[in-house]
Amino acid sequence: MTLTLDPTSTAAQALPPTTKRRVRGVGRDPSVAIIVAVVVAVLLLLLGLPMSKLVMAAFSDEGLVVFTGLFTNPANLRVVGNTMLLGLLVGVCGTLVGFLFAFAQVRLKFRGKRLLHLLALVPVVAPPFAVATATITLFGRSGVVTSTLLGLNTDVYGLGGLVFVLTLSFSPVAYMNLKGMLENLDPSLDEAASDLGASKARIFFTVTLPMLAPGIAGSFLLLFVEGIADLANPLVLGGDYTVLSTRAYIAVTGEFNVQAGAAYSILLIVPALLVFLVQRYWTGKKQVTSVTGKPSGRAELITAPALRIPVLALVAAWVVVTITVYTTVVAGGFLKVPGVNNEFTLDHFRFVLAGIGSKAMLDTTVMALIAAPTAGVLGMLIAWLVVRKLGRFAGVLDFVGMLGLAVPGTVLGIGYAVAFLVPTEIFGFQILPPLAGGAAALGGGLAIVMVYITRSLPPGQRAGVAALAQINPAIDEASTSLGASGATTFRKVTLPLIHSAFATGITLATARAMTTLSPIVFLTTPGIKIMTSQILAEVDAGRFGNAFAYCALLVTIVLAIIGLINLLLRKVIFRGLLRH
Amino acid sequence: MRSHAMATAAAFGGAALILAGCSSSSSSDSDSGGGSLTVLCTVQEDQCQQVMDTFTAEEGITARYVRMSAGEAVARMNASKANPEFDVVYGGGADNHVASAEFGLLEPYVSPNADVIPDEFKDADGLWTGIYWGMFGFCANTDVLDDIGAEVPQSWNDLLDPIFAGNIAMAHPATSGTAYQAMWSQVELNDGDEDAALEYFGDLHSNILQYTKSGSGPGQMAGRGEIAVGLIFAHDCVKFINEGFTNLETIYPEEGATFEVGAVSLIKDAAHPDAAKQFIDWALTPVAQEIGVATGNYQVPTNPDAEVTDDMVDRDDVAVLDYDIAEAGAARDELTKRFDAEVAPQPKE
Repeated sequence: MTLTLDPTSTAAQALPPTTKRRVRGVGRDPSVAIIVAVVVAVLLLLLGLPMSKLVMAAFSDEGLVVFTGLFTNPANLRVVGNTMLLGLLVGVCGTLVGFLFAFAQVRLKFRGKRLLHLLALVPVVAPPFAVATATITLFGRSGVVTSTLLGLNTDVYGLGGLVFVLTLSFSPVAYMNLKGMLENLDPSLDEAASDLGASKARIFFTVTLPMLAPGIAGSFLLLFVEGIADLANPLVLGGDYTVLSTRAYIAVTGEFNVQAGAAYSILLIVPALLVFLVQRYWTGKKQVTSVTGKPSGRAELITAPALRIPVLALVAAWVVVTITVYTTVVAGGFLKVPGVNNEFTLDHFRFVLAGIGSKAMLDTTVMALIAAPTAGVLGMLIAWLVVRKLGRFAGVLDFVGMLGLAVPGTVLGIGYAVAFLVPTEIFGFQILPPLAGGAAALGGGLAIVMVYITRSLPPGQRAGVAALAQINPAIDEASTSLGASGATTFRKVTLPLIHSAFATGITLATARAMTTLSPIVFLTTPGIKIMTSQILAEVDAGRFGNAFAYCALLVTIVLAIIGLINLLLRKVIFRGLLRH
Repeated sequence: MRSHAMATAAAFGGAALILAGCSSSSSSDSDSGGGSLTVLCTVQEDQCQQVMDTFTAEEGITARYVRMSAGEAVARMNASKANPEFDVVYGGGADNHVASAEFGLLEPYVSPNADVIPDEFKDADGLWTGIYWGMFGFCANTDVLDDIGAEVPQSWNDLLDPIFAGNIAMAHPATSGTAYQAMWSQVELNDGDEDAALEYFGDLHSNILQYTKSGSGPGQMAGRGEIAVGLIFAHDCVKFINEGFTNLETIYPEEGATFEVGAVSLIKDAAHPDAAKQFIDWALTPVAQEIGVATGNYQVPTNPDAEVTDDMVDRDDVAVLDYDIAEAGAARDELTKRFDAEVAPQPKE
């Protein structure tokens, strides 16, 4: 979920750009060639196959009906319009909230910065339905806050509720991007401007904001894509406001028309792809290598109350809302019928921990633990190949790796269902057995792990690319000129230097894998139970208490695993290899 | 170092070969000598689990299941048609089974235990056999009714009263068989006139807050006090009441409503057809059908010998509309499209 954009530094600090170096021919280093082959094969399996099957299904007869009907059928046109509007609003609101938090964190002087940082990041580990169901309980027509406390009659279903929930869920992405950019801004330009007599406000609007423009635009685009790709929240909270993801879901599950579902999914991919292409173009223009990557100084923290008070007030208000929502999620599991009958009960936790619930916890955790390190390693490998080894094809490989995030979850799920529920054949020869569904090897778990890896790969890859871009390739070349092969250099030289990016990558991969829902919906099997699809079933049946209990447990497990992985990486694996 | 890389590559290659060599059927069986069975189960999760456990204990065949909604089940079966993952589909309205049959996904099987099941609850060709049935009705929140000053609606006509503006919810007929029951009830009440039925829903449209995606959504909304009346299956309303939504009331409309029949079917080209047939036989027995009420589901069992409790609807007390399930299933696609085009997009007054 965190796609840290490559930091743009000012010209004052740039070393000569070194990305387009003469790369060592891949053919001269067989270990690198093998790695490339393996990575390409894996990506073909994870992404190439499902996507091509999906496109074939979308352009079959039933799918073409959707495309042609796009301009003749007003219902379809309305759905597309709804989706774009939602994306726009989520992009704007999410970026705004993220910017406020980032600005407060980096530029304002106050106590409790660590706490704010943690609170800003809370939504990252939240399961898909948690916020939506809590919002209904709190702010619905008979919500605890709106009806009981304030006496209002608000309809939280529809565009308003969706924008609120999606902003809450995705603003950490904007926050992390903008925080990184603000921290990397060279304050010497600010100081030059104020030496020339500009007021703080003038500096902000004429110097700071323009330098942040790529970051703000990048965040907006990212949130736009995340907003239109989400399935869980529009299902629960959308009401009559149908968007492309729910339309695709209905096409598959209500009309039994997978091809139409594929067609709607393709419509979702187009804006997502555009976003990533634009982002690559923008950030590719300015790139700077420096081993440490820190600016020459820190901007002085602002203490003027005229600025501090409003900003901090807004930030505090949002924090209160966030805390209320997430407390409801955790507490809701202990209430008999949350919002209606607030008796304390342990029944929901008993339901969740016994029987299916415990199996779901075990299965989900095991598969996430298999997928996350794999995604982390794969991401690092791809990042290394892209930044260091591949000349012309670097862009293509980078792009394919990012498809796991660019392609909306529903789309991926349908693609996997279409591709892997049946054996894969070329010219009549079966090269792969079915990998998904009850008839598959390993109880269909393989397809689910693959989906996890695909979805978790991009954050690690992005973090790796950003980290590697800051390291002078002369270090790598020193190693290879001493006789080490490409693979050894990667293992012993590069990896330790980017170990924190690796840790970040794995952390995000795990959080993402365990809370993903949309692709899993189409791949459930008898042998494997997934927590997020269990949560969907409980929300669907109206048993919010059970759903909240599941969510609370899921969050606990995710946090535990993240802590464990970080501990492991820092204390065990990288202990001997760290320079500091 | 080169040999190191070669070894890694060889390991990858070996793994790929092993995977390719695995055939689908041999690896999914991991059972004792009693045989195994995979069920596509569309009733509530806890009922699914108890059904499988009881069947395994009684018949000695290990039954595993996947739970998903009835609509998803049809889509899933269709997607893996060439290589069916499941042997039996258990639960879900008969209209879904009819749709599956039309996709060529089912195989006829007339169980010897089907003799006692009344004709209206089973398919003439044996493609599906009913295991439960339930009435469509209204689920009203008495507190909200007091707030808006309305009487408890007793008929379809009562629902059109402007006092209910923005206070009724039903599922969208395209996504849910539940809502389709409402549509077909209107068609039957108008002697088969589809235009008149759509006209009723056009009139009702201004009172509808939203068309939910899930079938039981309206009941939850009513339970939480967000609306006054939800249009759902009566047994779902009873279920909500027993789960703690105590201010709900179940209503069977005066003019009458249709009923859904939940069915069990044999899947074509199933991997374990004999075990599947044994499961279907067992599902029609009173013991199997009574698991429903044991897990808090109040549909009426189709087997006349199964126990009927007070929470279940009494056929003699309510107006039931008889209808041809096959006819309703065949008309579904077109009717829902017309609903989508003519009723749903209209502005609400």
